[in-house]
This record gives sequence, C-alpha cells and structure tokens, in this order.
Amino acid sequence: MPFNRKPQKFNASIKEVVIGCGEKAITLGGESVFPFYTFDGDMKNAPKVGVEISDMGIPEVAGIKAYYEGCTTMGEIAKKASEMEGADFVCLRLEGGDPNGANKSVEELVAVVKEVADAIDVPLAVEGCKNVEKDSELLAKVAEALQGKNALILSAREENYKAVGAAAGLAYEQKVGAESAVDINLAKQLNVVTTQLGVKADNIVMNVGTASAGYGYEYVVSTMDRIKAAALSQGDAMLQMPIVTPVSSETWGVKESMASEEDMPEWGPVEERGISMEVMTASADLACGSDAVILMHPQSVATISKMIKELM
Amino acid sequence: MTLFERVFNGNDAVYGLTEQAIDAAIAQHGEDKAVSFPDTAYCLPCYYAVTGVKVTNLKELKEALGVVKTLMTREPRLNDAFMSGVATALCAEFIEALKYIDGATPYEQPLYGHLGDAVIRELGVPLVTGDIPGVAVVLGSAPTVEEGVALVKSYQAQGILVTLVGGICDQVAEAGMNTGANVRVIPLGKDVTSVIHVVSVALRAALIFGNIKPGDAAALMEYTFKRVPAFVNAFAPLDDVIVACGAGAIALGFPVVTNETENIFRVPKSLIVQEDVSKFNATSLEARDIKIKITNIDIPVAFASAFEGEIIRRKEMQVEFDGSRVDCAELVQTKEMSEIEDHKITIVGPDVDEMELGSKNSIAYVVEVAGKSMQPDFEPVIERKFHNYINCIEGVYHTGQRDMQRIRIGIPAFNAGFRLKHIGEVLYASVKNEFEAVVDKCQVTIYTDPAECTRIRHEVAIPTFNKRDDRLRTLTDESVDVYYSCILCQAFSPSHVCVVTPERLGLCGAVSWLDAKATNELDPNGPCQIITKERPIDERIGEYEDVNEAVRKFSQGALEDVSLYSIMEKPMTSCGCFECICGIEPFSNGVCIANREYAGMTPLGMTFPELASMTGGGVQTPGFMGHGKHFIASKKFMKAEGGIERIVWMPKELKEFVADRLNETAKELYGIENFTDMIGDETVATDPETLVEFLTEKGHPALGMDPMM
Repeated sequence: MPFNRKPQKFNASIKEVVIGCGEKAITLGGESVFPFYTFDGDMKNAPKVGVEISDMGIPEVAGIKAYYEGCTTMGEIAKKASEMEGADFVCLRLEGGDPNGANKSVEELVAVVKEVADAIDVPLAVEGCKNVEKDSELLAKVAEALQGKNALILSAREENYKAVGAAAGLAYEQKVGAESAVDINLAKQLNVVTTQLGVKADNIVMNVGTASAGYGYEYVVSTMDRIKAAALSQGDAMLQMPIVTPVSSETWGVKESMASEEDMPEWGPVEERGISMEVMTASADLACGSDAVILMHPQSVATISKMIKELM
Repeated sequence: MTLFERVFNGNDAVYGLTEQAIDAAIAQHGEDKAVSFPDTAYCLPCYYAVTGVKVTNLKELKEALGVVKTLMTREPRLNDAFMSGVATALCAEFIEALKYIDGATPYEQPLYGHLGDAVIRELGVPLVTGDIPGVAVVLGSAPTVEEGVALVKSYQAQGILVTLVGGICDQVAEAGMNTGANVRVIPLGKDVTSVIHVVSVALRAALIFGNIKPGDAAALMEYTFKRVPAFVNAFAPLDDVIVACGAGAIALGFPVVTNETENIFRVPKSLIVQEDVSKFNATSLEARDIKIKITNIDIPVAFASAFEGEIIRRKEMQVEFDGSRVDCAELVQTKEMSEIEDHKITIVGPDVDEMELGSKNSIAYVVEVAGKSMQPDFEPVIERKFHNYINCIEGVYHTGQRDMQRIRIGIPAFNAGFRLKHIGEVLYASVKNEFEAVVDKCQVTIYTDPAECTRIRHEVAIPTFNKRDDRLRTLTDESVDVYYSCILCQAFSPSHVCVVTPERLGLCGAVSWLDAKATNELDPNGPCQIITKERPIDERIGEYEDVNEAVRKFSQGALEDVSLYSIMEKPMTSCGCFECICGIEPFSNGVCIANREYAGMTPLGMTFPELASMTGGGVQTPGFMGHGKHFIASKKFMKAEGGIERIVWMPKELKEFVADRLNETAKELYGIENFTDMIGDETVATDPETLVEFLTEKGHPALGMDPMM
C-alpha cells in the first residue's frame, strides 16, 4: 500500500504579535501547524531568538566576555548584542532590581532601560527582577519610559498582572508578557484576567514557565504541548498567544553549566557545557512550541538561529 | 420645583454663561483663535470622548455648543435630565477651556485645574489595580473647616484619590493640610466649572485604559459606571447649577451624597441625603460599592502562616477557652447591609486581663457579614477558615470548630498586649480580605460572659448548625440546577476533571458542592466552573450532554464522556488525591473500598498504593474509582450498579468512620438494619475466599445480585 500523507491542518492559528517598530520589528506567532510541522502547512513566521543582557554587566564566561570586549556602557553592550549573528531582538534583564540582591532603585534601572533602548534599532524586551512588588513598580515605569517603542514587558504574573498589565498594555501601549508556572490552567487563567483588565488579546505573549533540560523539564514539555494542542485543535482563543521562553536565565545557573572543570574533570570544559545546556534547552523549547527563545552566549544564538532556518 | 426643573434650570443657566463667554472670546480673539488644554492629545477631552469630534479653535467651539444644545431636551424624563447633566458638564469644559486661551495659566499652586495625560496614565495604573480604590469629588464648603478636613483625611487614609472643588479648597488650605497628586488630594479650582477637570480624567481614562472609541457615548458611560469608582460629596447649599452637574455625574454612574435637605429629591443609590457629614465616607463607599483592602492588621503580635503550626503548652498559656468543657461557639451569620456597622468589634464579658492565669473560660464569637453576593451557603465556608486565621496569630493556638473549638493565648502574646479585640481584628480583616467578593461589611461580637456564651451556643449556634446540616441532607443532585467542575489538580494530573455534585463531593474529600459554589463565586475564573445539567442522556448512569461537553473542554479533549453514578460505564477519572479507592471484587459481585490510611492488603490482592497506580492519572479505568470518604454513604454511590449494597469490604477504621451514615442510607434504600455488620474488614478476611464465606454467613445482598461484568 502506498504511503498516503495526511496533513494535520487546523482552522485555528496562534495570534500574531508584533514587537518593535520599523524595518526590524518582529512578528511572533501566526502558525496554524504544530512546531516545525512545515510538511503540514506554513509556519508563517519563523521562531525568533533574543539576546539577553543584564544591568549587572557581562557575565564571567570567557566566550561572552570576549564577544563584548571593549564595551563599557550598557548602550555599547546592547548595541553589540543587537549585532550578534542570528539575533532578532534584545532582552534586557533588570536583575539588579531585586530587593534581596543589588536592590537598585527604579530610577537607576529606568535610566539603563532608556540607554539600551536608544542604543539599538532591534526590538527590545525588558525583563523585571522577579520580585513581584518591585516589578509592579519597576515595570510600570519601564513601560512609561519606552513609550512609542512597542517593547515587550516581561512579565506580568498572577500577583502583579494588574499593575504590569495596566501600565504596559493599557497606559503605554507596550506588549505584555504573561508569566505562569508550568500549568496550562494557570496560563489560561492569567490570559483571561489580563484581557478582562482591558488588555487586547493580540497584545499578550505568554511565558508559560521554563526549566533547564534535566530539571523537571518534562513538565515544560507537556505544558507547552497541551497549550499548542488546545490553541490549535480546540481553537481556545485564550491560549492562542505566542510563547516566549527565557532560556539563558535558567540554564546558566545549573550545576552542569557552573561546576568547574577541576571539580568535574570527566564533564569537560565548563563553557562548552554551558553552551550545550543552553542549546539543548532552547531547541527543546522550540520543538514544543515556543515562538521565541532568549539566549545569552553568541555561539548558542548562532546555533539556534541556524537550526530554525534549516527546519523552516 | 421638581428635580427635573432644577436640573433644567441649572443647565440653562450654565449654557447661557457658556454662550456669552464664547461669543465674548470670539469678539476679542476672532474665530480662528486656537483653544486647547495643555498636555493632552484629546482636545477638548470630554467633548471628544462623548462625540468623537476634536475642537481646536473658537469657531469649532461655537459649533460644538450647537451640538450640546441638542442634548438639552426638556421632557420631564430621567434621560432628559441625565443628558442635560452631560450638557452642563460639556459647557463647563468649554468655559474652562476659554480660561487657557493664549497659553494662560489660570490656576496656580496649590490649585491644579486641568490635569495632563501623563497624570492620568500615572493615576490610571493604581486605579486599575485597585491601589487607588476610589475617586472622591468633594464639592462646596463643609459646614466647618474641621469637618471638611476630617472627611478629606478619612478618604486619604483609605488611599482614595480626593479632588476638591469650591470652598473646600480654601478650607483645606486654611487647616494647613498638605495637598498634591503625590498625597492624593488634588484641589482643582474654586469655580464649580473646575469639576470638569476630574470628569475629564474619568473620560480620558476610558479612552486610554478602556479602549473606548471616542463618540461611543454608551460604551463610555458603561465604562465609567463599571470601572471608574468615583463619587461626589456635595455640601449644602446646592444651587441649580450644582444639581445639574450632579445629574451629569449620575449619568456617568457616580453617585452624589449631600447634606442638603432643602428642596432635594432622594434617588436610591444615586442621589443620597446624608445629613451627618462624618458619615459621608461610609455612605459613599457603600453607594459606590468600594471595598478598602486591609493591608495590615492592627494587633500587637505577628500574623503569618509561619505561626500556624505553633503549639502552646499548658505552662506557657495565659488563658484557654475550651468548647469541650464549657459553652463556646464560633459562627458566621448573614445579615442585611443596614444591620451591620463595618469594622465594629464588641466585647461582651471580661477581657483576658480580667481572667485568672491558666484559667479555662467560655468564648463565643459571632461574625456578622453582609454583601450583595453573600449567601447563607457560604457561612460554613467562611467559618471553616477561622481555625486558620486564629492559628496564624503569633502566640495563639486554635483547634476544633463550631461549638467545640479550643483556643489558648500564650503568656508572651498576652504580655505583648494581646487582648480579645485582637481576635476580632484578625477575624474582621481576614474575612474582609479573603472573601472580598461576597462580604461588603463585617462586624464581630466576642462573648466571654458565661451566661451569654450559653445563650449564643444553645439558642443561636446549635440551631444554625442544625439548619445547615438539614440543608446539606436535603441537597440532592436533583434539587440543584448546576454542578461544578474542579480542575485544581490538573497541575499534576493534566486530563483529570472532577464533576462535583451535592451527592458526590470531590474525590479528595475537600471540595463539596457548596465549596465549589463558593470557590466559583469568589474566583469566577478559577478552578471551579459552573456545569449545567439540562440535557440528560441517561439518568441511570448519570450522563449529561452538558457534563460531557464540560469534561471535554476542561480536559482539553483528553476525555470524551463521563457518567456520575457508574463505576463500570464511563466512570469519572481520578487525579491521585482520592481519599478512598473502590475496586470491583468479582467473587462476591461486590466492591471493596480501601482508604489511604490503610496500609494492609485488600481482598483484591492489591494494597492501596497498588490500587492507586491503576486508578490515578486522569484515565478512565472501568471497575475502579477514586472518591471521598463521605461519598460512601451517598445514595448516588455507584447507583447504576445497584448502589451501596455492593460494598462487601472496607478497612475497619473506615467502616467505623462511615457506619452511622452508611447504615442510615442502607435502611432507607433497602430496609437493611446495621448494614455495616455485613461488610467484611481486615480482621475478617484479606482474601476473596474467606470474604465470600463471611458474606454468605451474613447473608450479604451483593451475593444475590447480577454480576457486575
């Protein structure tokens, strides 16, 4: 019997969300097939790769330090990041705002955001410090400072979606990243309440939670799988937002990426391991349905963007 | 004069003034002179919001006035009065706009006048998040400076944004009060027309935050009514112009509270006369349905879940209250809104410092609540949280419930100043915060007088508990219109959906139909959603088209159809939280039930964990079912296969736990006395052969029934 290929087509599609302005603006989502099922239909927009930079400066990783060599200001770092091979956008992570860490003031961080935004022409995503109270205040001010940039604000969570959603999605017309913790129902609920706040569904992207490969990662797989299935096969409009997954902030903190070669000689060079963890996790995220991933190492960015090109 | 006439007169007066002012401005500057407010992209904001037309110069302003005139119809109907109110507001905007011609600065510190778009974007976020719970517009002069300042401060203390118009601006300045946007007290201006600057904020908020299209007046008013929690406090005397402005406020959904008694008309929820200015705050909040979040509880010790597990031993205890020895009770009662004074805490009897060290005392606390969405069915749901709340107090310990609670107050907590009223504060704040969706007002009465405690326990609490128990008994699947889904466990059991009915509680045993109903009311987008039951497919096994649709939706298509009352046909799935597992026992045509606590073997040849591995994970396994303990005595327990008559074995402990109610059901359904005596347990048999011998000896009805498969 001859093989009879039946395309798996859906009437629904993932919403398209544009980030940034002008020629370099990017469109996330739009697909009406499962991730990279290009044999079933057109994915419309290729998944995107963002480059993470931090207000805390350049991390102590030789390859990354070498790439940014000579950059002294946040503006220079941002510009260099935007020029990385394979980079579609820059993600500025304001980890210095954490009250349990450097506890930088909102004003100081907003100044960094402005400097970064002025230095680059690619779309900008800004990630908060993960402290919900601080982020409520910080991200509202960030949204205000970025008026007209059509930036992605990461992220609104269950505890602070009103403050972040209202500022980013309503007052200052940015895109809102809705972050939930690896649970399809929580992801959906957050989208529902954020839209009830008045934020248009087309202005929301999801961060449905992430983990480094090997660290409970199967939960991430099943959550993303189920979200894409519900969005496409069941036409669930409250799950049709594109997914953005920050990868580097997870993978560079696990022991495989950090344990020194002296401690773990059988594991090989530490930087290579870090890159591998980042690449493995990102490729899995994309295969499960992420419409964008955020990475740090130039080699990971180049590898993943090449992978996307070849799979499209 | 009727209220309509007052509105129309006021409107006519303002219109006349506006016309004169525009004509004078044209005469002075010419038609092409630009008009605008500073720092806004929406010009003139109110007129633009209502009509969708931007006004940029005096000529257009004159034309706009013509449009305003068309709103000023004069039939004595509510709509005419509202539209005249809106027309008055628009006229006020025009008059105010003229003040700004040529970049003039008509308002000077501390007065604000027009507020720019940036201020709105900044204020809008806390308004949307509820950090600013409301917007008060205080208009006119308070009877005294002290009363005016006290009112403004009362709102300020609640985080409400206060805008001031007219004499109150001077009164506040006279008292030396600090004002400004940063302290949320904004004096707008001394002319009544300056009230438009706060209306302008509300309408621009609708455009910016509500995505309302300019010109869509109906959507605009719906937005301001539903989303802008503003209200007006207008001091006597009210002239017709203020009455007309008030009509405009009411049209936008903002109630007006006034102390004017002359020639005024009361309109419920809209135009409210409150002669006592000190009660303006409470009256306004109730009228506008504003709830103030309580952020810190005023007690001398800490309050956190970290203290929940704290145990206070006898020698560390100052006093105790013990329901098992003396009369005690804890109770929630639903009242009418008017019967409750919010945050009133009353102590009847001696306080802790009047009790002997180490003594055992009576206590009864009654928490009275009222709210538009409150239902007596929620009383036990709220009451059950008391244990949790009181336990979270540092140095205070609580066990038990209803009239069997026991509370100990530790010596350090007592020394820190902890007294009975603090229990009241904790109950008040916790109930108001956690049950915000249903509780609008709450007051607490704490009795320690022994005679009063006896009275409360026997004459109030016990009859209430009995009534509730009766209600629970009469709640059947047939007597309600809807069931509820519960998908709380999908985090780890992705395809599982519980269908919770009055006679079949969630399999975890923790979610009854009433709990699910309350959860749905408190968190409408949460895990418990309404499932209708209008389209039955098969009454015998309890299958409904509506239920199947819901299950399909909530399991994201993983489950097609479930029955409510069958263990063999399309049984309900289990997550993994089940209190008990029921499994088919083929030799006796019956079923065995094992509870989670039971560690031994069952006649099925499997232990509880082994049964659990077959039953959990959100898959349908005919012949096996997870369920709550209380479901065992339900008339709906595997009703399709013959019901509880099929139960042939249970661990002894479980059997004793359910005996009373199970025997009652068996008697009612089949006329069998002491049914549990016929049911085997681990002391009788853990293998099927011995079990069947025992059942034969007892004449268990399952032996004579049809095989289940």
